[in-house]
Amino acid sequence: MIELHQISKQYDSIKAVDRLSLNIHAGRICGFLGPNGAGKTTTIRMLMDIIHPDSGSILFDGSSKRPPSNQIGYLPEERGLYQKISIHETLLYFAHLRKVKNADQKIKKYLDRFGLGDRLQSKINELSKGNQQKLQFINTILHDPQYVVLDEPFSGLDPVNQLLLKEILEEMKAAGKTIIFSSHQMDQVEKVCDHVAMIDQGKLILAGTLQEIKKSHGDTLLQVIPENEADLTHQFFKDHDAQVRSGAAYFQLEGQNKQNLINELNATFDLKVVRVAEPGLEDIFIRLIKGIQA
Amino acid sequence: MNFMKIAWFEYRRRIRSKWFIIGTFGMPILILLISLGTGYMAGSGAGIETKYFGLIDETAYFGAKLSEALDQRYVTGETPALDIAVIEGYYSELQLQYDTLVEEKILDGYFVIPFDFSEKPEVRFYGRSSSNIRLTVVIETELKDILVQKRAENLNLPLETLEDLFFDIDINHYKLGEAEEQEINELVADYIAPFIFMFLLFLGIFTGGQLLLRAVLEERSSRVIEVLLSTVSYNDLMGGKILGLGLLGLTQSAFYLLVVVLTGYYYDLSIVTPTIGFLYFVYFILGYLLYAGIYIGVGALFDSEQEAQQAIQIITFIAVIPMILWTIVIENPNSSLVNALSYIPPVTPFFMMIKIAVGETTVTQVVLTLTIMIISVFGSIRLAAKVFRTGILLYGKRITLPEILRWIRA
Repeated sequence: MIELHQISKQYDSIKAVDRLSLNIHAGRICGFLGPNGAGKTTTIRMLMDIIHPDSGSILFDGSSKRPPSNQIGYLPEERGLYQKISIHETLLYFAHLRKVKNADQKIKKYLDRFGLGDRLQSKINELSKGNQQKLQFINTILHDPQYVVLDEPFSGLDPVNQLLLKEILEEMKAAGKTIIFSSHQMDQVEKVCDHVAMIDQGKLILAGTLQEIKKSHGDTLLQVIPENEADLTHQFFKDHDAQVRSGAAYFQLEGQNKQNLINELNATFDLKVVRVAEPGLEDIFIRLIKGIQA
Repeated sequence: MNFMKIAWFEYRRRIRSKWFIIGTFGMPILILLISLGTGYMAGSGAGIETKYFGLIDETAYFGAKLSEALDQRYVTGETPALDIAVIEGYYSELQLQYDTLVEEKILDGYFVIPFDFSEKPEVRFYGRSSSNIRLTVVIETELKDILVQKRAENLNLPLETLEDLFFDIDINHYKLGEAEEQEINELVADYIAPFIFMFLLFLGIFTGGQLLLRAVLEERSSRVIEVLLSTVSYNDLMGGKILGLGLLGLTQSAFYLLVVVLTGYYYDLSIVTPTIGFLYFVYFILGYLLYAGIYIGVGALFDSEQEAQQAIQIITFIAVIPMILWTIVIENPNSSLVNALSYIPPVTPFFMMIKIAVGETTVTQVVLTLTIMIISVFGSIRLAAKVFRTGILLYGKRITLPEILRWIRA
C-alpha cells in the first residue's frame, strides 16, 4: 500500500500538486486519471523519488523510507528505452542495475510470453512501436517489483497483446502488488482498474471504487442515435444540453421528463437507437473536469 | 556500486560502436595519408602553375644573365614557378605593347631593369595583382647575386677571393650533455611534439565531452532518464556517465600516445618521457572533468542536439585559443602572456602540456595549476549536478538564465 499524505509541489508560480492525499492499496489496480497538466506526472515522479515533494509525506507500506529500487517498476509514457542497443543488452543492463538474479532466464521467459523470443539480438529501433511497448513493459516488471506505476501501458498494442498485458496485470494483482495505472483511455481504465483516483489542478477531485463512483456520480443517460448523422448538429441538442460524440447524443435525465424528451425527439427526428445507458467513466471525467473549469 | 555499472555500460557500448572504432583507428591513418599526400603533391609540382613574365632589359646585360640563372634554378623535369621572356630595349618604347600583353593575360606581369641598374640597383615590376610578391623575391635574389658578381669582376678580384667572401653558415644543434649533433628530424620532432601532446589532449577531452553531451541528450529525448532515475540516484547516473565516457576518451588518448611513442622509436626519438606521460594523464583527467561538468549541464538544458551543440560551440571556442597560439607558446613558453593564460582553468591543461613538453615550467607552476584545476573541477561538477538534477526532467520548456541561476543558488 502506498499512502500520499498532503503532498504538494510548486514550480515557480504553478502549484503542480496541491495537498494531495491518496491511498493506493496492495492487490488492486488503481486508475490514476486527470486532464493534461493536472499534476499526474509530477505525482508519479514524486512516488518514484525522482523529485521530492515540498511538503507532505509518502509512505510505502507504512514506512516513510523509500523501498529499494528493485521493488519499484516504472513505465513512462512512450519510449523509455535506448534506441541503438539490442533487446538483450537493454534488459540485462536494467536487470543488472536492479540486482536481478537469473536475469537471462527471466528475460527469456517474458520475451517468449510476448512472442519476442527470437528477437533477442534485435536492436530496439528495429522494432515496431507495439513491440517496443511490450519490451518496455517487460523492463518494468522483469525484477518482480512490489510497486508498479504504468503510464499509458496499452499504447500501440494490438487487441491480442492488450489482452495479454491485462492477463499479466491480473496475475500481479493476485500476487498482491500495488499497481498504479495512468491513462487517458477511459475504456482501458474501466476494463482494468478496481479503483480510480482523479486529479485536476493538483487536487484530488474523485476517488473510490469504480462501482462507487459510477453510483455516486453517474446519472443515467439517454443515448440517442439518429438515422441521419447530420441531424446531430440540430439546435435541439444544444438546447437540451446534450453531449454529442461519435455519432450519438447523450442527454442527462436528471430533472427532465424522460418520456417527454423521447416524444419530442421522435417528433423531430428519424431515430435509429434510443436507450438508457449507464454512465461511462469518460462521461464522469468530462463532466467533472468541465464543472471545475467552468 | 551502481555508478560503476553505469560507467561500464556506457564504456562498453560505445567502444564497440563502428564509428568510434573507425574514428579512433582511422584518425592516425588519415593524418598519415594527408601528410604523405600533401608532401607528394608539393614535390610533384601539382598545383603549381608557371607564371609568365616579360622583362625589358635596358642594360642589355642583366636580362640574359638572369635568364641563365633561372634556367639553373629550375632543374629540368619539375614545373618551374616562373618563366621569363627577356627583350632588350627601352621601357618608353615598349610600355604600350607590354601593358597590352599583361591586360590580355598573355603575361602575368613584366619587369623593367633600368639602364642605370649597375649603379642604382632598383627593378620595376608592373602587374595586374599583387599575388606575385613571392616570385619577385626570386628575381631579387638572383639579380643581387649577378650584380655582386659583376661588381667583383669590375674590381678584378680573383675567383678564390670571391669564394672566400660568399659562403653559408651552418648552426649545429646539441642537446645539453649530449655529444652527438642533433639531426634535423630530431629538431622538428622537438618542435612538433609539444603541439601533438596538446592536440591529443584536446582531442581526448572533447571526444569524451561530446559523447557525454550526446549520451545525456539521448536519455533525455528517449525518456530513458525516467526509468533510470526510478532505479538509480542522480549522482550515480551522472558520475557513472562521466567515468565511463572519460575512460573512453582516455582509451583513445592512450592509443594515440602509443602511436606517437612507436613513431618516436621508429625514428629513434624519445618524445614521451615518463614525466610527460604522467602529467599528460593528470591534465587529461582534470581537463576532462572540468569540461564534463559543462557538457552535462548543457545536455540537461536542451531538447535538441542542434541547440545544445550551438551552446557548446561558444565553450569550444575558448579551448581553441591554445590551438591558435601554439607556435607562440612553443617559442616563448615563459612569456608573461603564456604564463598568465596557463592559470585560466579552461585552457590550463593545453598551455601547461606545451610548457611541460618543451621543458619550460617549474614544479611550483605545475602544483599551482593543478590546484587551480582541482578547485575548478569541483566547482564545475557541483554546478553541473545542480543543473542536471533540475533541468533533465523539464522537457519542451525553454529554460532561461535566471531560472538556471536560481537552481544553482538553491
